[in-house]
Amino acid sequence: MIQRSLRLIGGPADIGRTPLFWVGFAVAVAFFLLYPTQVSSFRASNVAYYLLNVPMGLGMALLWGYCGVLSFGHVAYFGIAAYLYGIIAGNMAGSSWGPLVGVGGGLLGCAIVAAIFGYFVFYARVQKWIIPILTLVFTLLLETFLGQTAGYQWRVGTVLLGGYNGMTGIPWFQLGGFVFEGYSFYYLCLGIVILTYFGLRMLMNAKFGQVVVAMREDELRTEMLGFDTRFRQCAVFVISAMLAGLSGLLYVQWGNYITPSQVGLLQAALPVVWTAVGGRTSLLAVVIATIVLNWLTYTLSSQGNQYAMVIIGGLLVVTMMFFPRGIVVMLAETIGRRPWRRRQAAEGRS
Amino acid sequence: MSESLPLAASLIYQIGATAAFLFLAAVGLVIILGMMNIINLAHGELMMMGAYAATITHHAGLPFWAAVIASFFVVAIFGAIMELTIIRRFYGRELGALVVTWGISLIMGQGAFLVFGPFMQAIKIPGGSFSYGAFSFSEYWIVLMLVSLLLVLALWLVYNKTTYGLQAKASMQNAEMARSLGVPTKRIYTLTFALGAGLAGLSGALLAPTATIAPFMGQQFVAPAFITVVVGGGANVISGAVGSGVLLALIKTPVGMALGAFSGTVALLIAALIIIRIMPDGISARLQRVFDRRVQKRQS
Amino acid sequence: MSGAVLLETKALSKRFGGVVAANNIDFTVTEGELRCLIGPNGAGKSTLFSMLCGIQKADSGEIYAFGKRVTHRQAFHRVRRGLGLTFQSNRAFHDLSVAENLAIPRKPLHARSHQKAAERYRYALDAFGLDPADQTRSGELSHDQLQWLEIAMVLAGFPDLVMLDEPTAGMATEETNRTAEVLKALQDSGLTLLVVEHDMAFVRLVADSVTVLHQGTIFAEGTVEDITTSEAVRSIYLGKA
Repeated sequence: MIQRSLRLIGGPADIGRTPLFWVGFAVAVAFFLLYPTQVSSFRASNVAYYLLNVPMGLGMALLWGYCGVLSFGHVAYFGIAAYLYGIIAGNMAGSSWGPLVGVGGGLLGCAIVAAIFGYFVFYARVQKWIIPILTLVFTLLLETFLGQTAGYQWRVGTVLLGGYNGMTGIPWFQLGGFVFEGYSFYYLCLGIVILTYFGLRMLMNAKFGQVVVAMREDELRTEMLGFDTRFRQCAVFVISAMLAGLSGLLYVQWGNYITPSQVGLLQAALPVVWTAVGGRTSLLAVVIATIVLNWLTYTLSSQGNQYAMVIIGGLLVVTMMFFPRGIVVMLAETIGRRPWRRRQAAEGRS
Repeated sequence: MSESLPLAASLIYQIGATAAFLFLAAVGLVIILGMMNIINLAHGELMMMGAYAATITHHAGLPFWAAVIASFFVVAIFGAIMELTIIRRFYGRELGALVVTWGISLIMGQGAFLVFGPFMQAIKIPGGSFSYGAFSFSEYWIVLMLVSLLLVLALWLVYNKTTYGLQAKASMQNAEMARSLGVPTKRIYTLTFALGAGLAGLSGALLAPTATIAPFMGQQFVAPAFITVVVGGGANVISGAVGSGVLLALIKTPVGMALGAFSGTVALLIAALIIIRIMPDGISARLQRVFDRRVQKRQS
Repeated sequence: MSGAVLLETKALSKRFGGVVAANNIDFTVTEGELRCLIGPNGAGKSTLFSMLCGIQKADSGEIYAFGKRVTHRQAFHRVRRGLGLTFQSNRAFHDLSVAENLAIPRKPLHARSHQKAAERYRYALDAFGLDPADQTRSGELSHDQLQWLEIAMVLAGFPDLVMLDEPTAGMATEETNRTAEVLKALQDSGLTLLVVEHDMAFVRLVADSVTVLHQGTIFAEGTVEDITTSEAVRSIYLGKA
């Protein structure tokens, strides 16, 4: 079992397979583990915010990079999970199990909506450019809908949806009596990032992942080897939607509020940017890009910068024009070609 | 009798106005998609640019119709620059083109905000309105319906009766062959993108009096324009856009009248999902098949 | 040979616009045979081929595979029943390694004799000189090796009936002969094959029965000798009929 897992992790589906790489990886993980002991809980909480976006970025890499299907509306699932968690956990405010039920409900909600959407587009075998457009339209409509839910008539049980001001007072995550906030929430995020990364790396090296990549390369050839490509694309879509939902859940547990602008156009662009800049065919590159770019946007927006969207858009244009395979991936390859700098390469990826 | 005639007229007017809106919102997009296989996500922002160009020139003293035509050329020139600098690197990379034009749209939206601020004084709707029975009709929307019909006719003429149209169709079907026959495909692509962008600008200008002029106004056209194109399909884009505009208007108008504008747009999305499930290649392919069958019958 | 019908079409028709690509085709492939489907360009070979495997839908008529009606089944269902096919232009996954290419195929639900199928697969690997642990990117293989890799991929799915669309296109004589040998050996081990081909030399090498398509209909059917000596067949190839 352990041996099999190790073999799956070491497969060719992601960059970084040398012993030196793993040394660098361990150093990076150790850094993140020790970070909160050296800084204030406020700064740890900021880094937790960068980390909690990683599952959505990974979901995007899985869908776009490995499966060749692009979604411009993955934040819709981020929002669906977040709002469902707020509604369920808010209504069960007295119970210590409310948040856990909320998490289950949020992920289930994402899976159902994504499966219905996926059924229509994948079973119709639509051309590949239609999917990003329909997902974008979907998330814009969701934003419009949530935006007009102001007022007392828009409440579910005891929870107000809140229109453009959003939903507030959303409970922390807790397991039994243990509440995740501050440092413990940081470690929750870190744990989830590491688990989803290794989980996906194994999945992509397993037979399932091989077939997913085969579908990206040649859908008809794959079907003519006996695979129901419609079902598999739909399955990948659902998994990646649930990963976006996971980020949404962590987001509301982090900030205790959510507004409709979280499913709006600017937010919708972000996962695409992280994935494009990192390099969509490498999970690790996307993890790195997600953390770095979140740090960048956070720093920019905390200074009240009005150019955030111009910078994000510009980054997207420049990446697509000059680094079509991703900045992190291309950097990693450049460094990897020089053996005497391998060690730095491994650390540089951390 | 005196009741039902105005009601019918009003219903036709409503559906016609919605169809005209959908067609205008989609026309520039459709040209670029059909002729170049590029999905231009900056389409909404090109429409925004057209609306701004028309509003600014109109406030500066140009008559409305002159302002509309000016905005066509402004946005067409911008489109040509966009094609020369960025878009031409993305031929044959559908998803890459989608992403890069999305990046452009973000820059344009925020850029308009930074340059022109959050709002701009709108243009008054030209012409008045009249009533028939209990219903009122806007002259301007009736003009827009006529303009849509004229546009369809003009595009048909351009693509079937001019050298440019012939060369554009040849480049679309087999660029290499066209090149070897001396067709300047690069210039054709630049022209086509400029035409598509210009039409987006024209539509934006035409719809400007009916909309709020704001930097992110392009977003409101994204849903209707793209749904129209998705439903229309890529086989014969102009007839596809007309067909799907009318079909979607038949769905959106009654839902919108009964349940409000937002439900109308949701109905559009649901209709699009169902229609592509039934006709994955869009209405244009279905129309094409019906047409083929007619030809067969006539032959046999 | 048991002579069970593995693949059958009844009154299969398909038109594209005004062009009749298939007109009332009744066509059968029986167990154990190696049948070649030939015909001049535009005879409708490719259309029939893609309707048989489910890539294109017929306008009318029925298709039966392994005794079950599959006219409206998706392509992958037919593959799972025991059909395998290679494409005219090579469609191995060029960006994946040889090992990955060979690992991907799915075993069918009802492979009637797994052991025989596994033997066939191993034989083909051996005969084509392919190593299932080879980490070379398959795009770096030569054209011939790629063609063979695709055949091996199909055999890795343990099919009962293999359809090949011009398997020797672009091959030199020596490699063509090698391919013919392997296909004959596979037939001897009990595999049924349908080969679309226009190279008559190759047809003479491998086929025991031949179907000639012309203008969307079956023009002639018979043994290789019958067909190659037929004046009528020769004349349609020369464009007289």
